[in-house]
Amino acid sequence: MEDEPGRDEQMDAQRASDILQDARNRAARALVIRRPVLFAVWGVAWLAGDGAIWLSVRGQRPYAGPTPEALMTLLFVLAAATIVSVILVGRAASGIGGLSALRRRVLLLAYLAGFVAILVLEAAIDHAGASRGVVGVYGAAAPVLLAGVVVAASAAALPDWSVFGLGCWFLVVGAGSGFAGPVAVWAVSALAGGAALLLAAALGRRLRRL
Amino acid sequence: MSEDQLDPVIHAPVRLRITVTLSTLPAGDTVSFTRLQDLMALTPGNLITHLRKLEVAGYIRMDKTGSGVNAVTAVSLTDNGRAALENYTTTLRKLLDAVSPDQPK
Repeated sequence: MEDEPGRDEQMDAQRASDILQDARNRAARALVIRRPVLFAVWGVAWLAGDGAIWLSVRGQRPYAGPTPEALMTLLFVLAAATIVSVILVGRAASGIGGLSALRRRVLLLAYLAGFVAILVLEAAIDHAGASRGVVGVYGAAAPVLLAGVVVAASAAALPDWSVFGLGCWFLVVGAGSGFAGPVAVWAVSALAGGAALLLAAALGRRLRRL
Repeated sequence: MSEDQLDPVIHAPVRLRITVTLSTLPAGDTVSFTRLQDLMALTPGNLITHLRKLEVAGYIRMDKTGSGVNAVTAVSLTDNGRAALENYTTTLRKLLDAVSPDQPK
């Protein structure tokens, strides 16, 4: 619907209302990052990744840690979820600058810095002579705590209390799952964390339709 | 009430679509000229004509950075533009209510 430059096409109130609604819908589809899809992708990745680790450690007496195959599976699903996220966010945020882009960069950097810190601390705990079980509990729970803090903090920029609630749930899962021990911590994390994200995705899609 | 009460700067199909699209972005965000052109499906000449009218009215800002092939124009809705669109929407709703008061909008 391209009119001539400088020439204003006439329109009545009803047509203006239709154009307004249509433009709103189109802009929302093109420019808004589809959080339900992101939640679903990361929910599946979490379930599959932590689930694979749990399958590799269940039945271990004493706890020896995940197999290389399970760790590769975890890395693969994390990489796949990251690629899908980059594509989804890139599509919506292409050409968009300003505060939102800055906030996304800061949150990503904070998450990456936190993840490196977790790995360094895990090495330090291991170096200090902690048992394989303690290191296992830490390795499973610490990334969930980090995700909880980052997701809860990101709610301030949106602003969205449901995202804050999701971040707080991750904190509960991260802190509480440790009590399950080094083997079951992976199952608790996969089910409570992954399922929560899938639930958030389903609720998000439902709310968008209302 | 009549359509004359609607802000003439916004009350044109292309400028209405541009203003609504820009209002979808949170305050403080900008969209590049090329992405906006893609979203609006307009030629550069047509888009710039409408953007200039909105800029003259103080409804949008255009900030150019870089030069030559690296030049990027960032477009954003100003606070005045956001308020003008809100007024436009309110007036439009009243007009439609006056025409058919029983129909839900």
